[in-house]
Amino acid sequence: MSRVLGIELRRSAAAGTALLLAAAGALLLYFTAEAMFSAGWMQLAMTQRLFLAVLWPLALAAGAWQATRDRRSGVTELFASTPRPRASRVAPTLVTMAIAVFAGYLAMGIAGSLRIIGTAEYLPVQFVTVTAVGLLALIAAVWLGMAAGRALPWLVTAPALAVAGLGLLLLIPGATRPRGWLALVFSPIYEMNMPDDYATVPFRASVSQAVWLAALAVTAVLLFVADSRRLRVAAVLPVVLGAALAITVMPHQDRYVTGAVDPVARDLVCDEDDPRVCVSRVHTGLLPEIVGPARDALTALAQLPGAPATVHEDTTTYIPDVYPPWRTDVTMFRVEVGKDGHLVDPDSVLPEVVAGAFASPPDCEDRSARMADRYAAAHWLIGSEPVAPETSPAEMAEVPYVAEAVEIWRGLQTMPDAEAQARVERLRKDALACTVDGGLSKP
Amino acid sequence: MTWIALYLRSRRAPAALVVSIGGAALMWTLWSLASNSRAVGVQMVILTVLLLVAALTVTLGGPDDALEATASLPWPPRRIAHLVIAFLLVVVPLLATLATGARFEPVGLVIRDAAGLLGLTALGAATVGTARAWFLPLGWTLAAALFPQPEPLLGRILTWQAQAPDSTAAGLTAALLAVGGLVVYAAKGPVTRL
Repeated sequence: MSRVLGIELRRSAAAGTALLLAAAGALLLYFTAEAMFSAGWMQLAMTQRLFLAVLWPLALAAGAWQATRDRRSGVTELFASTPRPRASRVAPTLVTMAIAVFAGYLAMGIAGSLRIIGTAEYLPVQFVTVTAVGLLALIAAVWLGMAAGRALPWLVTAPALAVAGLGLLLLIPGATRPRGWLALVFSPIYEMNMPDDYATVPFRASVSQAVWLAALAVTAVLLFVADSRRLRVAAVLPVVLGAALAITVMPHQDRYVTGAVDPVARDLVCDEDDPRVCVSRVHTGLLPEIVGPARDALTALAQLPGAPATVHEDTTTYIPDVYPPWRTDVTMFRVEVGKDGHLVDPDSVLPEVVAGAFASPPDCEDRSARMADRYAAAHWLIGSEPVAPETSPAEMAEVPYVAEAVEIWRGLQTMPDAEAQARVERLRKDALACTVDGGLSKP
Repeated sequence: MTWIALYLRSRRAPAALVVSIGGAALMWTLWSLASNSRAVGVQMVILTVLLLVAALTVTLGGPDDALEATASLPWPPRRIAHLVIAFLLVVVPLLATLATGARFEPVGLVIRDAAGLLGLTALGAATVGTARAWFLPLGWTLAAALFPQPEPLLGRILTWQAQAPDSTAAGLTAALLAVGGLVVYAAKGPVTRL
């Protein structure tokens, strides 16, 4: 068997398929999604799943192309005349093509991991399940392609199938609206886009998708090996059962994956020395970059009475809004990961952390300090003029409050030190008490 | 007349014609049913052009290209005529939809993508063989249609299929592929590789 497998690996479309998937996947990762997967392993796995939009149709086409090999070589009748059962003859081909897509998808993952291997540390179990479902999707696609190629052994089958496959993937969310969870069952890419830093895919969603894809794969294999009409009709059974089971397993709620947050990834991990600097577990690899400027920020803040003594990452997640516990002795800042897996702008950590001390509790809406005031106060404490931070993505580089912050900061510089100090202290006190009225410019 | 009939039969032209017209009709029907908008979505337009080009790719080679090449006929003009007619077979049905309720627009994009993709597939037919000629157009176009990159210039060139019709970089890329494919295919003709 292994000898046959070796021959089949060399003589089938396997090598080309693996190469195609790996190359297409790596190009997509590096050209279109640089900033999407730089935060960690989970983001890489989810971004890879997003690109199944391209890889899945390609796998369909590769399978169909492979299945038309006998006809292209003109040996269909010859093989039909041998007594060996079709199932045992085509089994090595099925295995080879599965190996090919497996290798291609893994190679894509390895190519992506080169970018983040230095900074990503947190590797959750869901990374494995999300990747496994992606692999299963590709295997199902390549086998489905082989079944289609066997049924319609023409040259045009493969490209037409790829176009149809892509059309199907694009249509699923529209066709199942307003039941978004249904699209989540049948499409391996739906709701995988733009994974944020604490994103995860709940285990039940992965199981449901795996059930559906496995059923699809079984049906494809049956269709490909069947040499009787009865077996071909029976092939419908697994796909129907799988669909029913997958629908039962999937929780019937929308935004099931989009709203999912991995609490472990979000937990704070602290630097061992004092004063304490803590970031979420997913950003642990960035802690060495953050600790230095964060401690400088605490030193600058020490000019204030009752200054915070600890720095935490702001791990707020939105829709539904979940805030970290509010403490007045903690200053919080958001960690923005750039394309290379490192901080977008290491120079912005210092002002961000200092400005965090002028934030208000989450439920305090229009009585909190404005951004311009926060940054002006922060820069007054640091002793440098406010500058626009680099942001990710670059299009958002227009930070609206910077010009105003510079103006307020210049105002503070012209005042006597005691007056400026008093205003900054007042801003901090009012922000904590949720009673800001006017800000720094108000006497 | 006999020659043309035999040629078309050997190139499986009737089947390809049925598939390409059928493909266009299918896409038109799908859009008419699925959407109220009169202008067909750009991704759908690109995919339709790709489908029609893939359907006509089959006609670029015959059952025995080496044998065919030995015939002492002036092949280059015939091959050029073949590609030009294939181009018209992609463009004309799609332009005809402009008069209907599901319009495959913009015209510039249809013409540019049809020419570029046909050139690319002809280039493939003359180098890696007709059977494999669709590999590159398919993979490239799927990726470009889903993830078009309007910036920077390299992005516009690499995803030329999905750029706005007034993009010079995309137009030039398509023109280069079209002319390159036309010249290479006319000079070399299709090759057969199993």
